[in-house]
Amino acid sequence: MENIQMNIIDIQKKIKLGEVTSDSLFKDSLNKANKYQDKYNCFVTLINTKEQVNNPNSLLNGIPYALKDNISTKGILTTASSNILSDYVPVYDATIYKKLKDSGAVLMGKTVLDELAMGGTGTTGHTGMVKNPWNSECLIGGSSSGSAAAVALGIVPFAIGSDTGDSIRKPAAFGGVVGYKPTYGRVSRYGLFAFASSLDHLGCFARSVEDVAIVMDTIKGHDEKDMTSLPDESVVYLDSINNDIRGRKLFYIKEICDRKRYENINDEELHKTLDNFYSVIDKCKEMGFVVEEVSFDETLLNAIYPTYISISCAEATSNNANLTGILYGPRSDAKKVNDMMFDARTKGFSELIKRRFVLGSYILQKENQEKLFFNSGRIRRMIVDKFNDLFKEYDGLILPASGGIAPKAGSDDLDKLSKRYLLLENHLAIGNFGGFPSITIPSGLVNDMPVAINITGRVKEDVVVLNMAKKIEDVLGCKNMIARGDK
Amino acid sequence: MIEKEKLKSYASKLMFDMKDEEYETLQREFDVILKQMELISLIDGIKDVEPLTFPFELEEAKFREDEVKDVISVDEALFNVKDKLHNQVKVPKVVE
Repeated sequence: MENIQMNIIDIQKKIKLGEVTSDSLFKDSLNKANKYQDKYNCFVTLINTKEQVNNPNSLLNGIPYALKDNISTKGILTTASSNILSDYVPVYDATIYKKLKDSGAVLMGKTVLDELAMGGTGTTGHTGMVKNPWNSECLIGGSSSGSAAAVALGIVPFAIGSDTGDSIRKPAAFGGVVGYKPTYGRVSRYGLFAFASSLDHLGCFARSVEDVAIVMDTIKGHDEKDMTSLPDESVVYLDSINNDIRGRKLFYIKEICDRKRYENINDEELHKTLDNFYSVIDKCKEMGFVVEEVSFDETLLNAIYPTYISISCAEATSNNANLTGILYGPRSDAKKVNDMMFDARTKGFSELIKRRFVLGSYILQKENQEKLFFNSGRIRRMIVDKFNDLFKEYDGLILPASGGIAPKAGSDDLDKLSKRYLLLENHLAIGNFGGFPSITIPSGLVNDMPVAINITGRVKEDVVVLNMAKKIEDVLGCKNMIARGDK
Repeated sequence: MIEKEKLKSYASKLMFDMKDEEYETLQREFDVILKQMELISLIDGIKDVEPLTFPFELEEAKFREDEVKDVISVDEALFNVKDKLHNQVKVPKVVE
């Protein structure tokens, strides 16, 4: 195995033994990125000159990594994959970038996302679609598309993403890598371009739970620059994932994954994905977890997607009002200030973004606010309260991360009101509603494409979720996977 | 179906325009989304619930002292501005 594709601890051992240097790792990572760029389009910007703070005490010292291009990096182009920011160069560092820099990790590139992080396909970035490394005819999903693909291709051992509805955890599932969204506030969002502030999280991708724990130990922590930041915790995640899951209880939701509900649906991938999920459940029981099926109010579950759309679009409409083309972004040559802004926004946003903004505006109109915006907040509370009740009895929720493998590009055949779409494809937003720590880990292959499970746990108990995921990962053996499609 | 003119007025409030065919896509999208939104109004007892605006109570969030911190220079503030004059952002005349 190539050095750059090993796990972080093994790379670090090789560095200490002098068998590999951070310079050669950086070079290998860039070479791979260049080799795959035309085919998969992971990056907006590649950093051609290595810059590193030497920090021998950190496990990330000398390790190359990639950042999603909606994270502020002083002096480095940061576009959010949008034409309206196509030449924007930040004048300050995001806290997550600063922490990684201080740890000795080496930034090698900024990754493509769905424009302004609003989308789940990886097709809407201003530099083009990100393709799935397992099959380039398929989507990788989004919005943290390039970060997921870069880890899946073995270009970097880890990458940073953001997650507002499932934007780390869904592309991780489609790319056969681990994707982690921590508790809300665990990782500072200072310097993240806001999409929907009450739902936005920063997190990471890696090829094993252990590597996720190492990255989390570096990027977590209180930050006075982020008012939603949690206090520091004394626990070191890497030292605490010890595979001891005695007494741990998991539940899954009948209304989301009961095979009988989908009996009449002619979708081979869906059935195989559910079979994979139930085989994981059997293994969880064998390894000592208590796993129980729980019934949940289906009307509430069906409301997850519309609630997410309502809250996220409304918040996004407001958060992106600063994109005017006056202080940054492409300027128009219109003769009046208002016309300049109108022009910049008309040309700078793609159609999808505009449609989401119009929806957000509709939801926030005085006559619709009560029925749509505030009712969505009420549903959000009802859903979060129910999960918090369940988390009194159970340590985690386990579900398939998706109802199938990565879809083919250009296919839009999921009926948006169907059971599969409303439930199996959208339940990950529960983690954002309640700020719950939530991890996607690969659970096998269906038709030679990766499928995954997701584990979501109690707020602030990130370490419990990581520990349970580590145990399941060890038993399933689906770790350190490199996409095989391109060999 | 929601009228195209209504959608145009929302877009205009947001300071952008869309192509005619994009409004048509949006009309179709609204049709689906408003049906999904109807699911929200089917929930029993919703009126008695306080909307949740953040995932959980943020006990640490408090206003800091009003002290100057983390100042950026004028050059940095103007770094991405395309047109500037005398350390300020230059825009077309506002008052005719």
